[in-house]
Amino acid sequence: MSNPSEINGGSAVAMIGKDCVAIACDLRLGLQSVTVSGDFEKIFQYGGNFVAFTGLATDVQTVSTELRQKHALYEMVEERSMEPNTAAHLVSSMLYSRRFAPWFVGPLVAGINSTTGEPYVCSFDSIGSMDVSHDFVVTGTATNQLYGMAESLYEKDMSPEQLFETISQTLLCAADRDAITGSGGLVYVIEKNGKVTKKLLKSRQD
Amino acid sequence: MSRFNPYGDSSGGSSLAIAGADFAILAGDTRHSTGFSIDSRDQSQIADLGDGLFLTSNGFSADAKQLVDDLRTQIKWYHHNNNDHKLSISAAARTTMMLLYGKRFFPYYVNPIMIGMADDGTGAVYSFDPLGSYDREPSRAAGHASELLMPFLDNQVTFANQLDPQTGEPRKRLDLDLQTAVDLVKDAFTGAAERQVQVGDTLEIVILTKDGVDRQYYDLRRD
Amino acid sequence: MDILLGIRTQNEVLLITSRSLARGISVLKSDDVKVLECNKHTALAFSGEPGDTTNFVEFIRANVRLYGFQNKQELTTHAVASYARKELATSLRSRKPYQVNILVAGHNGTPELHWIDYLGTNVTLPYAAHGYASYYVLSTLDRWWTETLTLEEGLELARKCIDELEKRMPIDFKGCNIHVVDQNGVRLHE
Repeated sequence: MSNPSEINGGSAVAMIGKDCVAIACDLRLGLQSVTVSGDFEKIFQYGGNFVAFTGLATDVQTVSTELRQKHALYEMVEERSMEPNTAAHLVSSMLYSRRFAPWFVGPLVAGINSTTGEPYVCSFDSIGSMDVSHDFVVTGTATNQLYGMAESLYEKDMSPEQLFETISQTLLCAADRDAITGSGGLVYVIEKNGKVTKKLLKSRQD
Repeated sequence: MSRFNPYGDSSGGSSLAIAGADFAILAGDTRHSTGFSIDSRDQSQIADLGDGLFLTSNGFSADAKQLVDDLRTQIKWYHHNNNDHKLSISAAARTTMMLLYGKRFFPYYVNPIMIGMADDGTGAVYSFDPLGSYDREPSRAAGHASELLMPFLDNQVTFANQLDPQTGEPRKRLDLDLQTAVDLVKDAFTGAAERQVQVGDTLEIVILTKDGVDRQYYDLRRD
Repeated sequence: MDILLGIRTQNEVLLITSRSLARGISVLKSDDVKVLECNKHTALAFSGEPGDTTNFVEFIRANVRLYGFQNKQELTTHAVASYARKELATSLRSRKPYQVNILVAGHNGTPELHWIDYLGTNVTLPYAAHGYASYYVLSTLDRWWTETLTLEEGLELARKCIDELEKRMPIDFKGCNIHVVDQNGVRLHE
């Protein structure tokens, strides 16, 4: 476990529904096999944009705060709110600026475009390569498990309630097959009308 | 000059088994690959051992084949010595363990899964690690897509993380009916083929009931 | 490895640190203090590479005090923790990173405990441990810690942890100092 991306553990997933998006993460923070914290949230809110960061926890904190500063500056200078695709490109350029000494993070961006009303999800590698998806994106140490769950549970055009159930089951069952992901979950469901629901999930504590 | 490596990376894609109250299912894709090269699109990885036993062994395919040969020999001798008495799955599983552990210090690089009907008429799935550690389980996945398949089986076969909408208590385990199980296998593999390049082409499903064996084939993506 | 524990109780934070200071095969000191008063209501407990540790925490303390003088407003415990984290995170990608793990304990109306490792991972916790000691005491803390511990109950829990460490740790760590951080500031207990 000398891989920096796998020291602290953790995973996240985001999905598109009908006029809604959901983004979820686990709550564990560990040092190798020892769990240090069970309430380490990996999803950060920037206006209407929700960004999950998995990977090395120190970089999660550094990048998420730096993004907070950049987002605030954007809204002050531009005098308008930031769209999800803009947030995604901002994350991408932040990561690529560290091309040869990367932040060890695997971000996801989720949100709904305020002008078009289109749901948006996007994932990145640690140097900022964007992957805009029309269904779901995953990241973290349980990537394979999340892909297996999401690929079989996901359906197009789900309602916010269906989306919540699907993303929760995806996260929970994937987390149970990864030793360094788990200790509870966190789910945001974002709807077109601006409604945001935050829910905590209980799960196995081992 | 580098030393000869007795292990290679040629392997079948993935396999999966589900045990029911009166059936057992063993499924595997028919893609065979070495690294990123596809060797074959119709190479069955399910071995019929006789006595109503079926086996897949994901990992290094030369070792997988050798293990099947070893097992067939063992079963043949068992018949010779015991007046053609049928080998039960529990005994076959123990034999597999003996064969695998017998090569403790030069292991067969495989993760075998065996299905059969148990003595009490229930469907049985036994899974092994390369050294012979084994257990009877409700379901098991192995091979390249095992990490993708296993959490899905936990969720849909043993209802992990599902709550009963009425009581709010964990949903009670119930025995799946055959059609549901077969559909689960198809869904699981379609999903896995979507994300794992070593999995695809055709899905071969062996369905074991008290009435005998049924084989089904189902198309997967071929890219 | 030095012992570094922190326990947040209802009205205070306890910092438990080992008293031995060892280099190689010799114990150089049996009354070492691994806790530093950062400002009136914030204490830093530290362990890691000798040299790095004192240099780092004194640097943090100096800047925290400077901030207090210049702005006539002391940094909160949260702010001290964020500042220390940032210094560690920045240092991590330098030519020679600080190898220092710290616990930041403070009381600004409510008691507060931060766990920060040398990578710059900062988490707020009810109880925390660094190094090998964590393998021995975390289960004890998981079992006995509650939100409403009194000082006496907190000290009793600390005793449980120290007893376990004395029983299971292969080296003699020469006992522990217990520092209490409450609304009156930082003090050494006993």
